[in-house]
Amino acid sequence: MNIMNAQQVTKDRKVVGKSVPVLDAREKVTGSLKFGVDFAVLGMVHGKILRSTVPHGRVKRIDVRKAESLPGVLGVVTHEDAPDLNWMGVWDNYRGKVLDGIARFVGDEIAAVAATTVEIAEEALELIEVEYEPLPAVLDVEKALLADAPQVREEGNVRDEYVVLWGDLEQGVAEADHIVDIEMRYKSQNYAGIGRNACICEWDGDKVTMWTSTQTPSELQSGIHQAFGMPMSNVRVIALPSGCSFGLWWSNNFMMVTALLAKKIRKPVKIELTSQECMAAVKRRHIEITRGRMGVKNDGTLTLADFSHLMDNGAYGFKTDVYFFCVDLWGGALNGDYRVRGVNTNLVTSGCMRAVGDITMGLAVERLADMCAATVDMDPVEFRIKNQLKSGQQLRMQESRGHMKGALTEYIDALSDEQKQGWPEMFHLSSGSTHELLIRGAEKFRWRDRWKGWGVPASVNDSKYRGVGVGTGAHCCGVEFGGNTSSVVRVNLDGSVNVFSACGRQGQGSETTLAQVAAEEMGVSLDRVSIVTGDTDSVPFASGSSASTTMFRTGWATREACRDAKKQLLRVASQEFFNGIPDDQLEIDDGIVQVRNYANEHPRIPLEEMMNVLCSDSLSQTSVITGRPNGVMPPTIAFARQWAAQFAEVEVDIETGEIKIIDYLAGQDSGTVMNPNVLKNQVIGGAICGAGFVLYEGIEFDQNDGRILNDSLLDYKVLRSGDFPSDVEVFFVESEDPVGPFGARGAGESPAAAAGPAICQAVHNAIGVWVDVPMTPETVLKALKMKSE
Amino acid sequence: MSSTLHVNGQKFDVEIRPHETLADVLRDKLGLIGVKVSCGEGECGSCTILVDGIPCTACLMLGRQGEGHELVTVEGIGGYENLHPIQQAFIDEQGFQCGFCTPGFIMTAKAFLDKNPNPTEEEVSIAMSGNICRCGAYPYIVKSVLKAAENIRNQQS
Repeated sequence: MNIMNAQQVTKDRKVVGKSVPVLDAREKVTGSLKFGVDFAVLGMVHGKILRSTVPHGRVKRIDVRKAESLPGVLGVVTHEDAPDLNWMGVWDNYRGKVLDGIARFVGDEIAAVAATTVEIAEEALELIEVEYEPLPAVLDVEKALLADAPQVREEGNVRDEYVVLWGDLEQGVAEADHIVDIEMRYKSQNYAGIGRNACICEWDGDKVTMWTSTQTPSELQSGIHQAFGMPMSNVRVIALPSGCSFGLWWSNNFMMVTALLAKKIRKPVKIELTSQECMAAVKRRHIEITRGRMGVKNDGTLTLADFSHLMDNGAYGFKTDVYFFCVDLWGGALNGDYRVRGVNTNLVTSGCMRAVGDITMGLAVERLADMCAATVDMDPVEFRIKNQLKSGQQLRMQESRGHMKGALTEYIDALSDEQKQGWPEMFHLSSGSTHELLIRGAEKFRWRDRWKGWGVPASVNDSKYRGVGVGTGAHCCGVEFGGNTSSVVRVNLDGSVNVFSACGRQGQGSETTLAQVAAEEMGVSLDRVSIVTGDTDSVPFASGSSASTTMFRTGWATREACRDAKKQLLRVASQEFFNGIPDDQLEIDDGIVQVRNYANEHPRIPLEEMMNVLCSDSLSQTSVITGRPNGVMPPTIAFARQWAAQFAEVEVDIETGEIKIIDYLAGQDSGTVMNPNVLKNQVIGGAICGAGFVLYEGIEFDQNDGRILNDSLLDYKVLRSGDFPSDVEVFFVESEDPVGPFGARGAGESPAAAAGPAICQAVHNAIGVWVDVPMTPETVLKALKMKSE
Repeated sequence: MSSTLHVNGQKFDVEIRPHETLADVLRDKLGLIGVKVSCGEGECGSCTILVDGIPCTACLMLGRQGEGHELVTVEGIGGYENLHPIQQAFIDEQGFQCGFCTPGFIMTAKAFLDKNPNPTEEEVSIAMSGNICRCGAYPYIVKSVLKAAENIRNQQS
């Protein structure tokens, strides 16, 4: 069936596009929703982790005897207890052993204690004697690149360069009337997740069960399988909702340490992390540096985009690249050369945090493009419309992408035409762009009236300078090769439906929006759908809620699974209840099977009645109907993106350096909006995450040993209610995707990428100078001082 | 030594060790997991409860300091089947995302609306600034509190 047509027939939607309250709303407002820290099992004891005090060192001697003899201590694990196996976290955010006797950052896991109480476990930690053989440490991302730098890992510090190329750089230089360059350095952002996390693990024979807050249940199951060398069938992960995660709680090594401890003492163990551990010893955003140049013609055409980007993986990250779709966002540039390198340091592991790459490198690309626009004195909205990629155009991320291009084209070429039927054109943008967002946004924001020119304030009142700015952002809608997903749907005897889809519950509302997909496709009301998201004993393997996968890919799988189940149901109905009227002329509407367009002239059979008859009919083949996707989902990366365009007005006090956001408008094109209230909330949350990144947030590392100095919310400032306008507006452009469920695409990350550029440009327009990020009052005053000199 | 706590209108005799925080006592001994603890240093407001009507972070109080006061947690203002108008407004306006900070925001809102039943948007926004919502649901939290104020006023008139 042609997917395009399938989208069009379902315009009359009953559940899709409705702002139904999220399914766990009552639990949330009554405080009864159980997160990892709230969970307990019978017979559970408590664990604590001994963490390294050195940035790099080999454990020469570790004596746990005193700890073991403390009353109440049930067991201690060190690297001597750990399997000699590497495990890999989601998207190479972790690669290493559970414990291997080498400390690679201050705070690294060295040993763990289980005891009857948390207090005894803490006391026992102090009784463990560790002697380190110090190893030279590298705490600077650029120094870590050097050939004679201390090596953090046995694989070496430096990952393969990741390259995206198109056109010809020399030509881009020759064609340009102006070449503008930039260097931007970003501090590492802390996830600073409210909610912390805990892991409870229990071994029963050779089977292990883990309860923890995670966005990626299947991948955690796979990680345990790798770390302990056991079949996945013996690993059960029950993913609990997490507090705000942003990518922090995927599969983390403290979970593996919990499993190791539970295995040794053969009792359920809970390790509950402190806020400080969450902020200093799990994961953070990469430290990144972008250098680049862009060429522009006097008519505003970008002839060249040439960027080189460096990111630190910390100790256990193993990423080659940050994943950056600013390449496609500014894909109108005639010639392009983007290079990214990942490098290890003796700092706490870094990984994918919301809008990874696009919030950092994307900010430099946007800022440099703005500087080009200013050079040729062109309106930033017009400049974006002129140079950003539009629907139908060729994607840049597909140009000679070293290690991926071959694999992706080989995969696509190997499929039959039948399997690819209905696919959109590969390597071309399938739907949406910033174009419509910019046009509608500029109109809503009254951009033409409010923008006074580059570096010209919109108004000045005493020391308070106001300026407006626009920013755009993009990101993926899930990835392939390790990003596979599925869903299973079961129709129960009463016609109610269970959906089994692995996803995370970190506040993005996937449990609700996936249930909406299922209810719409099955033709039943939402209260007849129950969704299982986190139990790997029942959900099929799926790339978890990362890389904006869930709505696009898991939503697709859920809809396909429903189609499959519905097809089976209608075939039986055709035969048993409708005298052979073909199943493709039947439909399910509000839980009733009927003949499409002729419902009143034929019987209308409630699903419940049908399922009951089926079950009591000894001739029926089965008492259960289950559905799964039958088709091949086209590789997301080859056609789908999410888009954001945001407009901000800020006020900068040139005496104090303080920046206030005065007015905000956020536009989002994520295709069909499944649940407007959920998405509006998510879009603004993204904007606030991006605003925090450019205004306040940044980890301070100790110069000598790399420990995180601001590892508490007292010292690490995040935005609060009064820091962001309550009357922020959100609007949607719903360019339907040809593949995503009911035309939906990914959503959660591009809004975070668009905010920084919008706010930075607004600050520039207010005070006439580009300010380094985070734009703290000191940085603003320093920039103003440099400008006046 | 046994202590007596008055929580959500009920009296409880509990064993409280001297170093135990009030948040831990409420969670671990009385099963009130609506008292969420995140930062543990009074900065995020997730564990906000009412102590004689005043919003306090339970993570910064010792268990025994709760003695002799009327303590109210989110469980005390409304339950699954009988939501408080503030809880209902948070659902209607979706004043949350992950939900971890929500009970704390609701308790802050309760104390605020008890004192100021007819607030402006700006007053609400500032009043809610003692709590952190890392998901960034702030604008919807403000809308929720304004809606709750309206609902409570309508109920009373």
